[in-house]
Parts: sequence; C-alpha cells; structure tokens
Amino acid sequence: MEKNLKAIIEQVLREMNITPGSGADLAASAVASAIEQANTSVVEDGFIPDVTEVDIKTQYLVEDAENKEAYAELKSYAPCRLAIGKAGARHKTDPSLQFRAAHSAAQDAVFNDVDQDFVDNMGFFTIQTQCENKDVYLTRPDLGRKLSDEAVDVIKEKCKKNPTVQIYVSDGLSSAAVAANVSDLLPGILQGLQSYKIDVGTPFFVKYGRVGAMDQISEITGADVTCVLIGERPGLITAESMSAYIAYKATVGMPEARRTVVSNIHRSGSVPVEAGAHIAEIIKTMLEKKASGTDLKL
Amino acid sequence: MHEEILSVGVDIGTSTTQLVFSRLIIENQATSFTVPRINIVEKIVEYRSEIYYTPLKSPTEIDAEKVKQLVLGEYKKANRSPSEMSTGAVIITGETARKENANEVLSALSDLAGDFVVATAGPDLESVLAARGAGADGYSKERRGVVANLDVGGGTTNIGVYDNGRLIGTSCLDIGGRLIKTENGRITYIFPKIEDLARESGINIKVGDRSERETVSAICKIMADQLAQALALKPRDGRHKGLYTNEGKPLPEDIGIKALTFSGGVADCVYTENSGDWFRYDDVGVILGDEIRRNEAFHKAELLKAAETIRATVVGAGTHTTEISGSTIVYDRSKLPIKNIPILKISQEEEASVSTIISSIKAQLPLYMSEGKPEQVAIAFSGEGRTSFKDIQVLADAVIQGAQEVIDGPFPLLLVIETDIAKALGHSIQVKLQNKKEVICIDGIATIGGDYIDVGEPIGAGSVLPVVVKTLIFNS
Amino acid sequence: MILKTKLFGHTYEFKSIREVMAKANEEKSGDKLAGIAAETAEERVAAKVVLSHLSLNDIRNCPAVPYEEDEVTRIIQDAVNETIFNEFKHMTVAEFREWLLSERTTGDMIARASRGITSEIVAAVCKLMSNLDLIYAAKKIRVVKHCNTTMGLPGTFSSRLQPNHTTDDPKGIMASVMEGLSLGCGDALIGVNPVDDSGESVARILKTLDEFKQKWEIPTQICVLAHVSTQMEAMEKYNAPIDVMFQSLAGTQKGNEAFGLNGKMLQEGHDMMLTHGTSVGPNVMYFETGQGAELSSEAHNDWDQVTLEARCYGLAKHYDPFMLNTVVGFIGPEYLYDSKQVTRAGLEDHFMGKLTGISMGVDVCYTNHMKADQNDIENLATLLVAAGCNYIMGVPQGDDCMLMYQCGSYHDPASLREIFGLRPIKEFECWLEKMGITEDGKLTPRAGDASIFMSR
Repeated sequence: MEKNLKAIIEQVLREMNITPGSGADLAASAVASAIEQANTSVVEDGFIPDVTEVDIKTQYLVEDAENKEAYAELKSYAPCRLAIGKAGARHKTDPSLQFRAAHSAAQDAVFNDVDQDFVDNMGFFTIQTQCENKDVYLTRPDLGRKLSDEAVDVIKEKCKKNPTVQIYVSDGLSSAAVAANVSDLLPGILQGLQSYKIDVGTPFFVKYGRVGAMDQISEITGADVTCVLIGERPGLITAESMSAYIAYKATVGMPEARRTVVSNIHRSGSVPVEAGAHIAEIIKTMLEKKASGTDLKL
Repeated sequence: MHEEILSVGVDIGTSTTQLVFSRLIIENQATSFTVPRINIVEKIVEYRSEIYYTPLKSPTEIDAEKVKQLVLGEYKKANRSPSEMSTGAVIITGETARKENANEVLSALSDLAGDFVVATAGPDLESVLAARGAGADGYSKERRGVVANLDVGGGTTNIGVYDNGRLIGTSCLDIGGRLIKTENGRITYIFPKIEDLARESGINIKVGDRSERETVSAICKIMADQLAQALALKPRDGRHKGLYTNEGKPLPEDIGIKALTFSGGVADCVYTENSGDWFRYDDVGVILGDEIRRNEAFHKAELLKAAETIRATVVGAGTHTTEISGSTIVYDRSKLPIKNIPILKISQEEEASVSTIISSIKAQLPLYMSEGKPEQVAIAFSGEGRTSFKDIQVLADAVIQGAQEVIDGPFPLLLVIETDIAKALGHSIQVKLQNKKEVICIDGIATIGGDYIDVGEPIGAGSVLPVVVKTLIFNS
Repeated sequence: MILKTKLFGHTYEFKSIREVMAKANEEKSGDKLAGIAAETAEERVAAKVVLSHLSLNDIRNCPAVPYEEDEVTRIIQDAVNETIFNEFKHMTVAEFREWLLSERTTGDMIARASRGITSEIVAAVCKLMSNLDLIYAAKKIRVVKHCNTTMGLPGTFSSRLQPNHTTDDPKGIMASVMEGLSLGCGDALIGVNPVDDSGESVARILKTLDEFKQKWEIPTQICVLAHVSTQMEAMEKYNAPIDVMFQSLAGTQKGNEAFGLNGKMLQEGHDMMLTHGTSVGPNVMYFETGQGAELSSEAHNDWDQVTLEARCYGLAKHYDPFMLNTVVGFIGPEYLYDSKQVTRAGLEDHFMGKLTGISMGVDVCYTNHMKADQNDIENLATLLVAAGCNYIMGVPQGDDCMLMYQCGSYHDPASLREIFGLRPIKEFECWLEKMGITEDGKLTPRAGDASIFMSR
C-alpha cells in the first residue's frame, strides 16, 4: 500500500507536468517519509506518568461539570476515588489502572515476604511462628500467634532478660509496611524512651506473626511492657500502614481489650518518627499506671 | 475526648467597652486507635456584657480604675472568676489604643482576665478579629469568594478581607461615627483629619456650629465614599491616601471584593433604615451608616448579614484568638504559661540547609537581647520535608548549635514548628542535651517573623497547648 | 435415619447430623480452620449422599444448638408453621431440592414452604445445590418489602450507597453520597458505617443525611450502621432521624453475645423504630451477616459456617427486615480462601436468605489478603443479578477507604441494570430522571457529575 501511494503521487505529479528535481520532489519525499512514520512504531524516550502518583483527592475527571470548583473543594475532604467520571456506565481507563496499581501493591505487600536483607541491616535476628509458609499464615491465624520451639529457644538465648520494655517487629499482613516505616518508627520510639530514661530489651523480627504472638513473647522475655510493630492489612489508599500494639505484662489468653493500639502509621497518615515519639510516651504512661488497653485512660 | 475551655474577650474601644465569655469545645477528632488529633470544634459565646461607654479621664487618658471595676462587675454578673479562664484577649482598639496610658490599662487588667490572656492592640489584629467575629471568614469559605468586613466604629474603620477562608488583607482608616461629636444641637468636636477633609471638599463645618443634618450628611457622604474607595469599589481620589490610620497601607486595587459585612457601632445603621433623632448618640454614627447604605458604590458588592455587629471585635477577641497546638509535642509544665514571646523566624530559604539554619538563629538572636542579656524567644520554622528519623537528628543538632546561647541562658528552649515533628524533635534535643535543659517544642502553628506568641497551660488531657499568635504587622 | 454410605466400595460413616452437615459443605477454609471439614473430596461427596437421604424431620430435630440453650434456635423453631411443616417433613433433602427446582413449583409455593422449615433445613438443601442450581432456585423466589419505598419488585434491581469515611467527616461523607447518587446508586439505602460508634456522632451523621435527603426530595432510606443500642440512644437522646435500624447478626446466642446483642435488644430496637422511626414501614430493620462470624468468636458449637449463616436469616426473619445483606468476602482467607469460595458463599447466602423469606442483598467484596480481585466480584455480582438479588453495594470505584476492603462500585448497579434490562425502584427512577441522571433506564452523559448537587 505504501508503494501504491508513492506510485499514485508520482503519477499525479507527472500529470501536473511537474518534472522531478523541482520543489515537488521534496513534497513527494516528505509525503513518503510521513507514510513511513505512520506505519512503523518508533520507541521514544521519556516516561508515561506514574499512575500511582495521582492524588485522588484532587483528581477531577468529570468533563463539563456544572459546579466543578465547589465539588472539588468538597471532595478534598474525602480520601476516596471521587469525581472519576465514567465511560458508558463503566469506569474511565485512568482510574481503572490506578485502582489496579493500588491493588497490586496491596497484594504484593501481603503475599511477599519482608526482604531478609532489610531485616539483617536493621540488626534484627529473625524468628518464625508455627506457620511454615505464607499460605498457612493466611489461613491459620491460631498458628500465627504461636512461636515455633526454635524461636522460643532463640529468644531465650539472645534477648536481654526482664527488660522494662520489649519491642519487636513483625510482618503481619504487610511486608511493605515494615520496609517503609521501621527505620523511622523504631528509632523514634527508642529515642523517646531514652529521653524518659526507660530501659529497652533486644529488638528482633518475627516472620509470619499475628498480634497475639506478643503475649508469648512477653511471657518469655519477662518484659513489663511489650510492643509489636506490625504491618496492617493493606487498603488501596496505602499498602504501607503499620500498627503498634502495646500491652502491660501481656500473658497468653489475656483479653484483647488489654492491648493499646496506635494504627495508621505511614508517611501520609501518622508520620512514623512522630508516631514513634508518641508511642514512647504511651509506654511511659503504661509503666506509671501499670495498665494498658481499656484499663489505661490516655 | 470532649473538653470545654473558657475564654474571655475584652474590647476597650474608642467609644465603647465590652466583654464576652465564650466556651471553646475541644475534641479529639481521631479514633482511639490512632495518634490523637485535637481541635477546637465549636465556639459558643455564652455571655455578652452590656455595652459601656469607655471611661476616660481626659481625651488622652483612659480611666484604668473604672475599666477594672467594670470588668470585675461583669465577672460577677456572669458568675465567673478570672481563674476559670484558660485563654482570651484584652484588646484596646481604635483611637483609644493611642491613648497615653494604654499599657497601664492592660497591666491593670491582665490579672483580672485569667492566667493566660493576651493583651494587645493594633489596627491589623483588630481588623482580623472584627472580620472573624462578623463571620466574613466563614462567608468567604462558604462562597469561595472574596468577602470584606468593615468594622465601622467610633474613631476608625477596620477592614478585614478574606478569600475562601484565608485572610488576604487588612486596612484601617480614620473614619468613624464619633469623629464628629455633638451635644445639645451643637458640634462639640471634629477630628482634625475630618476637618481637613471637609474643608478640602468645600464643606463648611466647625466646632460650635449648629448640628444640621444636611451639613453633616454632606461630610458623611464623603466619608462613606472614601470607604468605598478603600475597598476599591470606586477609583481612589487624591485625598484618599491621607485617611489611613498611622499612615497604613491601602488594600490592593485588584482585590476583587464580591460581598460585604458590616460590624462595629455604626453597622446596625447600615443594615436598617433609620429614623428619629439623627443625633441621638451625640455623634454622626447614624448619619454615616445611612450614607454608607445609600452609597451606590457599595451596591456593587453583595451585602451579607454579619454574625455579630457591634460586638464583632469582642467576640473575635474572645473566641477567635486561640489556636491549639499539634497533639504530639514536648513541654515542661512548670514553665507554662508564657506570654508575649517574640518569634525568631527561620525563613524557608534558610531552612534549606543545616548551615543556614544555624547561621540564621545565630544572626537573629542578638536582636532579641535586651542590653546584652538574653530574653525569652521562640524559634520558629516550618520543618517541611524533614520527617525521617535522620532528618530529625540533623535538625536537632542544628538547633542546638544555633541556639547555644539560649541553651546556656535562663529561659527554656522554645520551638514553634508547622510540620508534625515536634515530639520527635523535642525528644531528640532532650537526649542530645542529656535532659539538662527545659524544652518546649510545639507544632501545628504557623508564624511569621515579628509575631508574638502566648503559650498556655495544657488542655485536652495534657496533650495540647492553647496558643495565641499575635500578628502585628500584617499590612503595615 | 442412616449415617453411613459407600463410595467406590469405601465405607463412610458419620457420627452425627452435625458431622454430615459440615462435611457435605463445598470446600471452605473456615470449616477447615474449625477442624470439621471433609478430609477428602470423596468424603465430601459421601456426606452429600448421606445428607440427601435424611428427612426434613431428621434435620429439624437436630438444631445447631439445643432449643433449651439458645435463643436463636428458639426463635427459629417457634416460628415454624406446624401445618406446613407436616406437609414437608417426610421429604428427604434430595426430594426437597428437586421440589424447589421443579417447573411445577412456583415462587409463591416456595414462600409458603419457607414458613414451615427451619434454618438447618435451608442449609441442608443448599449443600446439595450446584452454583447454577442456587441461581436457578433463587431466581424463582421474590421477596418484596416496603420501608419508604418498595424493594424487590419484578424488573427492579437496587443498590445501597455506602459513603464511608475514615473520620466520619460530614463533608467527605456528603461528597461521596453525591457521587453515588449521580451514578444512580442508593435506591435501597444510603447507609454509612461509622468510625465513631457514639450516639452523638451517629446522630450527627443521620441528621446530615436526612437534611440532604429532604432538600433534594430523594425517595430512599437512610441509616448509620452502628450497634442497635447506639442507634436507640441516637434516636432517644439526640432525636436522630432513622429510616431503618441496623444490626450485625450471628447464628447462635453466644455469637450474638460477642456482638453485645440479644433478641430482646433487637425487639426493643424494632419497637422503637415503630414508635420513633422516620420511615413509612412496616419493614424497618436492616441486618448484616457473613459466613464465619460465629467461628471467629468461638460460638460455632462445631457447626459449619453455612448452617450458622442460615440461622442468621432465621433470626432476622423474626423482625421482618426491609433488607439484609451478607458481607460475603470481608472476613478474610481463613474463612473464605479465594474467589472461588467467595463466589460459592455469595450464591449460597443469597439462596438461603431468599428461601428463608428475606429481602436479600449481597455485599460482594474481598479484602487484600484474599486471593481475589475486582474481576472476581464483578463476576459474582453478575451471577447474583441473574439469581434475582435485590441489591448490591456501591462505594467510590469499589474502594472503601474506611473499611479497607473492596466491593461494588457506584458504577456497577447502573451497568448491571443496563445489561439485564432492570430498573431501580420506581420512585427513585423518577427522581433520577428528574435530576437528569438517567433516561430510559440508562445513565445520561450528565450522570457521574456529582457537582450538580452543589448548586444552591
């Protein structure tokens, strides 16, 4: 078809009595190169914008909205996917891809393990619950609350005995939360405790851990206060949210209400380092009042 | 969490003195599973005093003792005591602020107005308080437009302009209802600037003349016209510039005012038709109000009903001066409250690097010394972008290095930050100084250089501090 | 009754109806977690065979928790119409299944039968149905209820608008309400799951919703999904306007106790709705359920999650609710492992609810720790419309920022209506047309513009 076009152009030019070598030649070659470009895909430099960087609070995809400015103001109060428009009765392409990207991050956060190098670099030793893999972890919450026999031995061997505060990190439901927050959150807590002159035990990492594992850890270490920093179940707004569960003299089988929780720790929620400072003060109060959870009025 | 604090507002104006007691409702708006987020969620004016004529000893001196008695009397009537007040403001406004003994009055009252009370004056702050008391800020947010409040009082008109809830300008003119006074059918006083304005406009009016409505209307019409010019609703003439209080600045001509509220003693005469004795208050307020209402230039902007008229400034002072710090902070309770602390501001550019943070503090500290001796100062910066643990350590080191003189001195190290990092930064500094220095480190508070700040005693179960930032130089 | 059978020559013997019921279930991770699931695929089929031969009488005589010990059992058993039960009690579960599927059996006949059976019977027959059986049988049954408007009429398909917010911010909630309405969502209900479960806060949200509903004259229902006692406090102490009263249910007394709930409280809530509620009625209650709730509070008495779910419907029926939905994929992979199990559970719950006589909706959803995605729940929603489901949920693009899970999008009800030729509730449709949001059963180009509600 390319050749056909060329032939036609040449014929037209001939019929117009334009001889080769004149300006018409240039025109013909320009047409030819345009045809060539249209038919071959060229890889260009540059990036397609990152769909995960779109701020859903300000995104506005409804065309010709009646009161755009007013609704844009109102929707800034909602961390939801609003003013996303439609294609027929379905979603537009951009928000669909944003959603899929967010879900992919959430699934990766749940189903991937925390990078072992990260754990090692933090100076943590790693122990495991009775879950042998992620699948068991997800379907057997009971096993995620119990440490393996080996884990119990390692804690006994490596951890400082009877510290005032025992802090440890666990993957929970988000490996991404651990990677994103621990290096700011944990030192934030430790420095706060240092400013209050409160003694802290040896931190470590628990793989495939549920919150309840802290009760057994509290019993083994003999800490007054035990605090686990654990990945929350990811939502689509962030996959990096972390919680701290803190309890005074936690014991296996104690009521859930005895835990104090600080959740929503991530860069666009409670900033990790400041949340850490806040947690340090909660621990201080817990030690003073000798209580936690609903027994402790903060 | 739900807590109420009491706030007092006292406005000693050119012509009237008023007081209000308000309740500020404080709530933790975060869930109990997250770091608290404590805010003022509601402001309720629970008691409004009578409106008194401001007691004066002479045209240049306020009768401090009488003012004190009057305030005391209102406390009794409202069944309140000064010790109950957590926050508030005493403000000497308008022409009165220029009285010789203004400061003496403030100190006479500061004990009466509770432990933690700001005592200040100044036309910019006054404009802001009146506009907020009248509700212009709220209207502008609701309508996403530019709304101005004119607080037309006895001696001055204070203009506060808001755009979408944000303050964009203040201005103050020597135009008011009591700049010409009358008694028994005669003119007894004319403010010099108004006398000049009348003369230049060819209006023959002087002290001792019979108070004729026609003559007074003529000069009031010009005063109203000047107010329209101040709002840029009309081109400004040659005389306009001279009418600003203390040679202050006019609003920008492209400010684009869409709607108006009126407050102050004259406001009610703007909102409603007048009849009866035009000189019933022995001044020209009724006629000035009438002329503003009739003036066509004002009809270019929509007239909105003010939430408060004659009480706007005192309500503003009583309810809108107090802010709440962020909920994760560090403080030393024994050092609170502290009042009237100047802000040493590290500019955005200076914040960019550690060395400029240090040099900025070092360079500015001497400005806040009195006779070579350190005084209490608040070091303020935004903290934006410095939210990692490492950033905080670097920031702490920089502050310690820059503020070594403060650390060695007798006053606590007071830091006022915008970004939510105060508790982490406070801890870091305490650790680095081995807990040997009292540190007050608060966030959630925006300031500019030249501001003064009051920090009150903790509220909200001890997690937040009430703060009053006194911006005195907005438009000067 | 016989509890033994052979499969491929192997003998399978079950100790009790409870064991038969559990093992006859399609595979669910929750039954495995409880340690009661069939150990092999063959054992599962053997249990189905044994179950198919049990009579409805056998099943009725074996409630999940004894009558004396459990008020849910009492409510279910006491509601049985003995005359009708006597007509059916000698049928085997297999025969009952075929009767339900028979071309001679009409929706009305099933509605009558539902008055004479217990929840355990409902669950038993469900276990013998394939997915298409569940759709086919459910499609016959129509349950119509009236609150302010009428839900469940032929030719209609409704949606609950769920404008949840991370901090209950009234502005944020209203922004979401507007977007949902602009896409034709919300004819079943505008219902908010609150973060702050206090009477004062719940009342504040209800008043905001009511004011908006009145201002725009929207023919629908409003609700805030707090605990019954909180809603009663909101109504009594803060004068909150409530069209339907919400409560989460469990299938055993012990399970409800974990929710801080008992039958008396439900009755009081229901009665207060009749004396203080804002709606027309007579159906003024709204319930949510979901397989696995009882196990999570260790209140399952070793029964399977399908049977316990059926019992929730039996309990709900006592209060003649306007609507009920099963929150089918919310609880997590330890109860429903993946999209296959969620799909099965959604179809089971919908069928069982309808067979009980409940106006059924399904919150077709999944959490991020489950092996499922938006495609899976779009599939399930489509199957449910085919099965004649009364309503599904809508949240902004399927992403609930507060409950941190994904469910149907505001766009989905309109899409499904268009595909299946269905309409929203009549009054609501008229309102949508008046607002220019739909025309001839389709969204207009103007639909999706929430800012139309910002005009003064």
